[in-house]
Amino acid sequence: MMRFRPDLRGLLIAVLLSVVILLPLVNVAVWAFTEVWRWPAVIPQKFGLRFWGDVLGRGDVWQALRTSLALSTIVTALSAIICLPAAWAFARLDFPGRNVFFMSFLTVYAFPKFGLYITIATIFLGLGLIGSFWGVVLIQLVSTLMFMVWIPVSAFQNVDPRLEEAARDVGASPLRVFWSVTLPQVMPAVSAALLLTFVNTFYETEVAWLIGAPEVRTVPLLMIRFINSELVVQYGAVFSVMLWLPSFLLLLVARRFLGAQALGRALGA
Amino acid sequence: MSHADNNKKMGRGTIGLLLVAPPVALVIGLILWPVALSVIDTLTVQTPEGPGLGLAHYIFFFTDGFSLRNLWLTIWVTAVCTVLLLGISLPIALYLRFSDGRYAGYVQTVALFPLFVPSILLAYALIRTLGPNGTVDTLLNAVGLPKIPSPYLTPWGPIIGLVWDNLPLTLLIVLAGLGNVSKASVEAARDVGAGRLQVLRHIILPRISGALMVAACFVILGLFSAFTLPWLLGPTVPEMMGPYMRRTIIDVDAPTQARTQAVVTFLICAVFAWFYVRSVARGRKEGAQ
Repeated sequence: MMRFRPDLRGLLIAVLLSVVILLPLVNVAVWAFTEVWRWPAVIPQKFGLRFWGDVLGRGDVWQALRTSLALSTIVTALSAIICLPAAWAFARLDFPGRNVFFMSFLTVYAFPKFGLYITIATIFLGLGLIGSFWGVVLIQLVSTLMFMVWIPVSAFQNVDPRLEEAARDVGASPLRVFWSVTLPQVMPAVSAALLLTFVNTFYETEVAWLIGAPEVRTVPLLMIRFINSELVVQYGAVFSVMLWLPSFLLLLVARRFLGAQALGRALGA
Repeated sequence: MSHADNNKKMGRGTIGLLLVAPPVALVIGLILWPVALSVIDTLTVQTPEGPGLGLAHYIFFFTDGFSLRNLWLTIWVTAVCTVLLLGISLPIALYLRFSDGRYAGYVQTVALFPLFVPSILLAYALIRTLGPNGTVDTLLNAVGLPKIPSPYLTPWGPIIGLVWDNLPLTLLIVLAGLGNVSKASVEAARDVGAGRLQVLRHIILPRISGALMVAACFVILGLFSAFTLPWLLGPTVPEMMGPYMRRTIIDVDAPTQARTQAVVTFLICAVFAWFYVRSVARGRKEGAQ
């Protein structure tokens, strides 16, 4: 039987969510393209791109971008070098303590993170690593461990070993098998994990502020400065839009390869 | 098993250990070691006969009015956020799971959208929206209503921000829990005359209590370690544990006090962390099979 029932509950939820979630974001987007917006007008008096030129002309913006890109690239590369071989070993090799070691990464989740960073910072204070770029890299590495090991392990486990054996039977060397059979199959999940690491590190604020400031000036720290002590509203707005778009596109790519749950845990934890 | 096979197995075991050593070393060096050191250091007191075991640091924390007010604010914000998040996620999750409404796709997309917004950008957006003369004020003024008392720099600032930020994952956990409640069982109960609330109370809630518990644990852990949003949106006095710990170590330069504060948050969160970690480990095992 066909019946038409207006989905009132759905409409209510949709409208409320739209207002609460989208209003702040739309607001920033409008500010980014506004030249004059005086209270109490609902619509800006003058739209324009003037502040884009201003922001792109600032030296500190480019310096922060360079620092953050370098930080994210280094952390992602180191994390890949450290975690991917380990993930392969967890998936394919049998060795004593395998399960204990595998579960040890759960300790990343077992403490409220900021408290953990504080305990690390107390050690870094003594070592003179506060305000150092490599101190930030080291802690960032730890927070990526969880999904840089666990996501690839699942991927390696999902590769059918019979395919690899078949390739070896027809004479392929182990390296060749890995390169031509295993790697293509794990690439989606591994690249999703790499993207998540990159984006997470790029926007990471707490470690950068606790360990890196004031010498290491990343993009989020510049944003903090725009929030706390910049009178021109548009700088922060332009910067937000500029930074958000690429990350959004990268995360959409990651979302194609990963379930919402895995993505959520990697981003939320 | 032949001798050669045995050797080969040993060799593979050694390779395996070597490959997993670097990340495991990071876990030991940058998680277990700092935590252990902090626990030991905060339990050590200086006596005339040299260092000994004592609770002096913790006694100081729990008798210091300033620390207690900060801890209390954190607990209060955490409680409010947990209730709000579960209260908001549950109706959305029920809608997504049980009604084939035409807005389901849109609702899911919008509700998960905060995943894609870094919290530092969120803080800026919320200040522009809810701050003095922000968008909400503008809109209220346009329809002739008085301005709101701005939540910016009150505890409600971080509460709004943290609920916004944590909504997607809370929703995902609750949705995963609802996946275990069959539509048939709900329809059967409806057929014998159970009302919406009765179905919720007797059929749905008992089966998703585990998921709600995990969601609550995740939220509580997250809030006890919240820093960016409370620091940018919240009041300075009292302040939540995140900003307080940072102030103690960087501005006050009192590492042992900061360690004490960190260990206190670990202890308060221990039970929730255990539940959360157990659920992640279980999910992992099921996923592996």
